Amino acid sequence: MVTHRWQTPQRPSRVVILGGSGFVGRSVKEHLESQGFKVAAVSSSDLDLCQPGAVEKLSELIQPDDALVFAAAITPDKGKDFETYRKNLLMGEHVCQFFFKGGRCRQVIYISSDAMYGERVENPVRESSQGQSPNWHGLMHRHREQWLQQIVPPAVVLTMLRPCALYGPGDTHNSYGPNRFLQSAVHERKITLFGEGEELRDHVYIGDLCRLIELSLLHRSDGKLNVATGHAVSFADVAKRAAALCPEPVRIDPSPRHTPVTHRHFDITELVRAFPTFRMTPLEEGLAVTYRALLCREPATAVKT
Amino acid sequence: MIGIAGLSHLGIVTSAATAAQGFDVVAYDADAERCASLARGRLPVVEPGLAELLAAHRARIRFTNEAAALRGCELIICASDVPTDEQDRSDPTVINDLLETVVHHAAPGSALVVLSQVPPGFTRTLANGAASALAVFYQVETLIFGAAVERALHPERFIVGCDDPSAALPAPYAAWLSAFGCPVLRMRYESAELSKIAINMLLASSVATAKTLAALCEDIGADWSEIVPALTSDRRIGPHAYVRPGLGIGGGNIPRDLATVRALADQHGTPDRDWVLRTLHREVLSHRPDPVIALWGLAYKPGTNSTTHSPAMDLLEVLGSPTAQITVQVYDPQVRCNGRHPRQLQAASALDACRGADALAIMTPWPEFAAVSLAQVREMLRGSVIVDPYGVTNGRECEALGLRHLRLGAPTLAGTC
Repeated sequence: MVTHRWQTPQRPSRVVILGGSGFVGRSVKEHLESQGFKVAAVSSSDLDLCQPGAVEKLSELIQPDDALVFAAAITPDKGKDFETYRKNLLMGEHVCQFFFKGGRCRQVIYISSDAMYGERVENPVRESSQGQSPNWHGLMHRHREQWLQQIVPPAVVLTMLRPCALYGPGDTHNSYGPNRFLQSAVHERKITLFGEGEELRDHVYIGDLCRLIELSLLHRSDGKLNVATGHAVSFADVAKRAAALCPEPVRIDPSPRHTPVTHRHFDITELVRAFPTFRMTPLEEGLAVTYRALLCREPATAVKT
Repeated sequence: MIGIAGLSHLGIVTSAATAAQGFDVVAYDADAERCASLARGRLPVVEPGLAELLAAHRARIRFTNEAAALRGCELIICASDVPTDEQDRSDPTVINDLLETVVHHAAPGSALVVLSQVPPGFTRTLANGAASALAVFYQVETLIFGAAVERALHPERFIVGCDDPSAALPAPYAAWLSAFGCPVLRMRYESAELSKIAINMLLASSVATAKTLAALCEDIGADWSEIVPALTSDRRIGPHAYVRPGLGIGGGNIPRDLATVRALADQHGTPDRDWVLRTLHREVLSHRPDPVIALWGLAYKPGTNSTTHSPAMDLLEVLGSPTAQITVQVYDPQVRCNGRHPRQLQAASALDACRGADALAIMTPWPEFAAVSLAQVREMLRGSVIVDPYGVTNGRECEALGLRHLRLGAPTLAGTC
């Protein structure tokens, strides 16, 4: 459940983004700046959260009136093993140590992931769902969330956002889904599916996450929220829609299936309760913007809402 | 002549009951040995009274393993039991093979009734595909092992799934149904298919409740056998409810339907909370700037002014979110709007609440709401959406007036926002 501490929207004096050069961090920075927020985006080259001096640097950087967006993580495309998990936890540990040693800010928005639910989770997934067997990436988010809940003082608003598969302009991850399909449709004129692409998944446009972060900052929204559209679509459908955007014919190839078909649906009731007029960008619309950006590098916030 | 195809437990009982009503029956199964045994009066199943019933009406039943014999039947009932695997999932191979044979041999225009245990969507796919030359129906079977003969001869009602529930049934099928002298509930295919599952889900919940509370009795000094009459004499529960102490759910059918429901839930992922809010969000709130909602009813049920745990009060609170600019115009015959949020306004009447609203949500089924003129509601609204979970207003009248009527549990194009 999400509660809004500020009835009247009010910008924080500054938003510090950890992970400022990643897909999410860059998109959030661009969006917040376009909405008049003062933003300090910090990348690993400015402040390496894995290094021993990270806590002191955080103490110098973060002011008591700041809001903190914690979007730093080594993503699965750069490593899925125990070593990556350990480094990611170390980053989380240093952020937690900042608070443990008395560091303060007004709000922490932690960018988690639906991977924290694991593979074996009952549909529809809701914030209270108890999944099993998360991979290293999911386990990392689960542990970071638990640490932050224990360490961040009650006076500091803690917002946990758990987006499912994000896509949109500027996504460098090339993971299986809309971005990869668009890229291969444009560059190779073909899209390869796992099996027949039967799996149903929820795909979230990056601009929607940015706008939810903005609203959470404006209202000091406290709590956990899945970020999903509530409409699961098969990968085969995503591929068809991506192919339809291209002027030239695009081949959609199935491939032998090695794992059973699983579906994932989200119950977005909590999101609707927290933000009753919020509109998630429909897949066709988000794909079209991403496609245009792929051709001419449009900014992520180009979808008008 | 009536054909019964698939001579498993369900098929044999159905054949015998049909013959007992005076119909001549072609009882088909691909297994020649089974047919021969049945012709000699030997039953492959144990069922009280079945041997006697079969013997009494044996002259009207022709057991055969030749599918061509079905050609002369105006009505063919596919009654093969559908086996399940070790995870209680149906194995459709048997029914698919049987239907392929039956459809191949059935005379064009004859009626085909699927009595087997099939999942929602199965019958429409059959009717629109392989069996498109036949009049296809689905009928819920409610066979109970050990009481199958009694239920087959004296069913409490028939539940029939149709392509068009308002169309007349083919004469041979109508004659067969009427021979049993019980009510016939006609509905669309999917509703009938889900009815079967719904019945078993309620039975399963009764069994599970009885099992859990009976065990609790031992620890707290209660006696479940004293409680059972208290339950069965309650009209909302009934004398035949599955509430006697038991060791759990056995047999194949209820576990199969539990597995089917789990699979459906996994495939569709349908949320079960805040239906009105999610519907308003999908239809209006997510794309209408500065939306205005008319809200009828605050009491938790008609005939009271209590709002304790009232869904309307919860909705009102959510719509008052500081993150949104939603105006709500409220009317309830007994309860006034609490004024907690500045954009939530008390209306003088039900119609007054609709003035300039994008949608009307009816949260309490007060009888007086059903009497309000829908034409006047249409005139007062600026939008055209009526969210009516209880079905207080007439959906057809709403549609005729150009209103989009959304009722809980009714099929819509939900999800295509």
